[in-house]
Amino acid sequence: MVPGARTRIERGGRGGASLRRLAMSSLVILGVVTITFAVSRLVPSDPASLYAGARARPEQVERVREDLNLGAPVMSQYVSYLGELARGDLGVSFATKRPIAEDLRRFLPATLELALSATALAVLIGIPAGVMAADRAHRLRAVGIRLLAVTSVSMPVFWSALFLQLFVASKLEWLPLAGRIDPGTHFATPTGFFLIDSVLSGSPSNFLDVVSHLILPVLVMAAYPLGLTIRLVRSAMLEVLASDHIEAARVAQVPWRTVLWRLALKNALLPALTVLGLTFAYSVSSAFLVEALFAWPGLGKYFADAILRVDLPVISAAVLTVTVVYVSVNLVLDLLQIRLDPRVVLS
Amino acid sequence: MAARGRVRHFGCDAVRGGKRSAIQRWSGLLGTHGDAIWHYRRSRLGMVTAAVALTFVVGAVFAPWLTPFAAAGRGVPDLSNRLRPPGAIHWLGTDELGRDVLARLLFGARASLVVAVGVVALSVLVGVVVGALSGYFGRWIDEVLMRITDAFLAFPPLLLAVLVAASLGASLRNTVIAISVSWWPWYARQVRAQVLSLRTRPFIQAAQAIGAPSRRTIAVHIVPNVMAPVWVQATADIGAVVLTAAGLSFVGLGPRPPTADWGVMIADGRHYVLSGQWWIAGFAGLAVVVVAMAFNLIGDVMRDVADPRTRGQLR
Amino acid sequence: MSEIKRLVFGGLLCVATVAVPPLTACSRDADGSGAANAAVEPGAAGQETAAEFAPEPGGEFEEPADSGSAQEDQPGEPPAAEPAVAPTTAVASEGSRENPRDGPGEHFVYANPHVIGDLDPSSAFSSEHIVLQNVYETLTRLTDHDGTTTEQLSGVLAESWTANDDATVWTFTLREGVTFHDGTALTPQAVRDSLHRTIDLGLGAAFILAPIEFMEAVDDRTIRFDLSYPAPLDLIMSANFGVYVISPNAVTQDNAWFNAGNAAGTGPYMLESHDPAVSTRLVRYDDYWGGWSEGQVATVDIRLTEDPVLAQQLIRNSDAHYTFNLPFDVYDSLADRSGVDVVIGPSMISLFGLLNTRRLSPEVREALVLSFPYDEITASLYGGRAVRSRGIVPQAMWGSHPELEIPRTDLEAASRLLDDAGMTDISIIYSYDAGTIEQQQIGEVWKAGLATIGVDLVLEPLTFDARWAKAKADPDGAQDVFVMFWFPTFVSPYDFLYSVFHTEEEPFFNLGYFSNGEFDTLIDEADTLSGTDRYGAIELFRRAQEILVDEHAGVFMLDVPQAQAIRSEFRGFVSNPAYSQVVRFYELHRR
Repeated sequence: MVPGARTRIERGGRGGASLRRLAMSSLVILGVVTITFAVSRLVPSDPASLYAGARARPEQVERVREDLNLGAPVMSQYVSYLGELARGDLGVSFATKRPIAEDLRRFLPATLELALSATALAVLIGIPAGVMAADRAHRLRAVGIRLLAVTSVSMPVFWSALFLQLFVASKLEWLPLAGRIDPGTHFATPTGFFLIDSVLSGSPSNFLDVVSHLILPVLVMAAYPLGLTIRLVRSAMLEVLASDHIEAARVAQVPWRTVLWRLALKNALLPALTVLGLTFAYSVSSAFLVEALFAWPGLGKYFADAILRVDLPVISAAVLTVTVVYVSVNLVLDLLQIRLDPRVVLS
Repeated sequence: MAARGRVRHFGCDAVRGGKRSAIQRWSGLLGTHGDAIWHYRRSRLGMVTAAVALTFVVGAVFAPWLTPFAAAGRGVPDLSNRLRPPGAIHWLGTDELGRDVLARLLFGARASLVVAVGVVALSVLVGVVVGALSGYFGRWIDEVLMRITDAFLAFPPLLLAVLVAASLGASLRNTVIAISVSWWPWYARQVRAQVLSLRTRPFIQAAQAIGAPSRRTIAVHIVPNVMAPVWVQATADIGAVVLTAAGLSFVGLGPRPPTADWGVMIADGRHYVLSGQWWIAGFAGLAVVVVAMAFNLIGDVMRDVADPRTRGQLR
Repeated sequence: MSEIKRLVFGGLLCVATVAVPPLTACSRDADGSGAANAAVEPGAAGQETAAEFAPEPGGEFEEPADSGSAQEDQPGEPPAAEPAVAPTTAVASEGSRENPRDGPGEHFVYANPHVIGDLDPSSAFSSEHIVLQNVYETLTRLTDHDGTTTEQLSGVLAESWTANDDATVWTFTLREGVTFHDGTALTPQAVRDSLHRTIDLGLGAAFILAPIEFMEAVDDRTIRFDLSYPAPLDLIMSANFGVYVISPNAVTQDNAWFNAGNAAGTGPYMLESHDPAVSTRLVRYDDYWGGWSEGQVATVDIRLTEDPVLAQQLIRNSDAHYTFNLPFDVYDSLADRSGVDVVIGPSMISLFGLLNTRRLSPEVREALVLSFPYDEITASLYGGRAVRSRGIVPQAMWGSHPELEIPRTDLEAASRLLDDAGMTDISIIYSYDAGTIEQQQIGEVWKAGLATIGVDLVLEPLTFDARWAKAKADPDGAQDVFVMFWFPTFVSPYDFLYSVFHTEEEPFFNLGYFSNGEFDTLIDEADTLSGTDRYGAIELFRRAQEILVDEHAGVFMLDVPQAQAIRSEFRGFVSNPAYSQVVRFYELHRR
């Protein structure tokens, strides 16, 4: 997920601490896997019936139960489940019988494309907007931006999606309603990221098609990170603006624009970006509603469907994937924090 | 959705609580810095949002007395009055089972309030205990507690709630549990970070030096000093919980019907928007947005008034 | 005769709310008029219909000698009226129609709310039939039924068939000139191997082939089945699952091969691509034995659209041409809108609540049956278009019981029963599918009624898998009312009565845990009779259903109306309750 994570950590200086963190992260993953296993055991379900199909006969279900070793005690199932994961065998979905690794390879890029675009949009608009919101020179503008920020973190995505689809797609017909590409569009998808694949296909119309399908879901998904970025940057800016060196710059009659956009922003950016990493990981997992509403074949919906069907192998695999994304991001952030705040000492 | 106003509290002066008197520290536990209320009341935005929040709470508590359609609010259908547009009798129209939408909104506020307060209270409780122990004792206790916290944090939050709600079955209580499971780690981390900074302060080290028992030090010196930002966060989180709960209801894991619920109203009502009956999903969504915004803004104003540098930003 | 009957039937379905001379309603008139216009111009449309549908005088077809369900005429698809066997006919048809290979043909988008999970024709057992029915074909197809006595079967791959007197030996004569998508010709061996594949896998609907003991190709057009006990094999061969005929080249492949998007059937469409998360695409098979004419659908996109609101938007915007599974109220507003036809077809889907016979005494069960707001729900929630059930067997199906005595909603009587039994202030757990809006609304309405007589109906939404697992595991501690749908695997009352009410040692689908020896004997006997003596079988099935009502085994709510929306630029859609949600794209014509 974040291939750079490991190297960056090791170059991070405090090598010992970094390695420790890495080891701890694998413990976290084990913990997550265990939570998943435990919680899914709580669900009243019959994996054998799920596997055998909706209207299978009792004898078919029994056969599956034996084949899948589902009659075994819980502990031995847990052990064999861990063993399979350790071997990198994600298994086969109970509900669809498709190999999970294959599904993930398809659905993860779809979700990442959505989440990355949304995060990018949030950052590109959010940072300047956040700076403006901290700018006392234009109070009206600042208040307007803050209201926008609060609105966008307060809007249920299933509500905003409905109205965007209704007006922009159905009424005005400016953009397509749903899906990743027009059903008539075909191109090879080696990376699974359609933005890249459409460029590789060499046809501008393919690229435009992909972009036009991305806009609405990305807008819906970006609302929350956007609002968050604005608020984070603003509060970081306010803190920096109150600091001594900004005061010094002001006394030295440095123009206010320079103070705001150069000096203050530079210092405010890092704390804001650390939390943004988390937002990204968060949007990966909360993508499922957006994906369901826009018929977007992504990981979030894949995961949510599996939960509702109690498709244990898929739940585990998806949890693992999202966790790895999350833990990697978190790891980098932790290490950044260690470097930034000398007061935080690793025990 | 499921947005959480996780704005890190940069530069909060509460951690400097060591300089203040015990009374001030205890008032910190209640979320009021001596003069913070005074500053809060001077904020026009603060007062407007507080009024909205109060309306929400009053509406929720007194729902049965505020509408002539209390039966509808409790879920009794009136099939002869289905899908009526807003009008003189039904101010906000009726839903697909002929129930007054305003009454459903008022009763839905009850569900939202119960979930929001329940989640925040449960999460604060667990989060503060875990965070304080972890930050104060450090070493292996910290390691173990933080790894557990990390595991819960690493679990995709909304999906964890979906998983828990799906396992336990839909009900108001289970909604609270489901959301709390992914909510408490944030408080734990926040509290731990503050305790870490606090631990190096002279007054804590003094308490340790004179051999004060750990339990007493944590209860008297640590927890009160970290509570102020926790309460600020908790207030802001009410809105975020309302939003998350709506998301859970939206996927069918909210309170059991016929309990009124905003998320369910949006989920059921959105089917009718295209055919022109916009008022069910429209008003329910508006209710979620307004309440979530109000609590977010209250959190903002509280943060601002708590920080002398930003005072006067929001008037 | 049956052709006309089929059209009458289809016509009534096509324009559900407008009274239209039946012949024209579903005709494939090319004059650009809407459904209502078609009604105004019966002459023109009728002529065209006649021209297109008239069987070729020289066409070969045989009357089945003594089959109870005679194939009186040609199979379902109108173009099939010209037997593809005769080369002369093919030439003639080319004269009157444009060669379809010249044009790009029509594109049809089916907004499908359910995932196409398993495309293996031998094991698929869910909504996959909407694809499979267009790619593969079966020996027979159910084309008409009057819901009381016999159903109307047409041959598809079979041209004719006969059975011996006790329905244990069946002989099917295959249509000539049929080829699979890979070019191989249809042979009796292919039929045998296809059915064998289903039987050997033992998955999905394999159990419906249980009577088959032996299959043999008699000659290059005829296959003989020896059954181990009497069974209506012609009916079984019209099933939705498990009886598709697969090319000899494909029949040896495994499940993964089929699910990778491969297929080789004889149907009018070839599988072009399959992505369960996005869409399944079909493209016309040029050498289809039925031939092609202008205006027919050439490419199909069966697009996964799980959100009903999205499906609604797609069909309103003409981005999709067919969908179903919308909330019932929505169809009214769709019907008002020009460009969308709403088709409310008869139903073979029964919605009922199984009453837990282990937890509820007969008095309480009777009280629950009496308290259910039958008419309120059919009239209001379903806009008067749903039919209240008479027992579990849907009224559109043979073997249903139109005279079955069913109670009226009577809360007072229910209250009295409960008082007499000393059962006041009880609470009843109503287990239903989370997110299924109709089941939820029914529960809410019922709950309000029950509350007035002091019964608290607790609505318990869970996913079907979860509540099914719960109900199977703990009959005594589980729900009181288990709400579920049943739709036929193949069209026989036995499928309903056996699956849901036959005594089970380990609960499976009998989730009211009903057990009645007399009932079991009756339906088992009826099933054996249904191959030879349909009327006798019906008699027994009806008696069995009377027992269910007398014992208050369930609350039989309604036959779920099959509401569908189709863009009106396509004509010729027939809602066939035996194949719910199947659109036979081949039968559609763009106006």
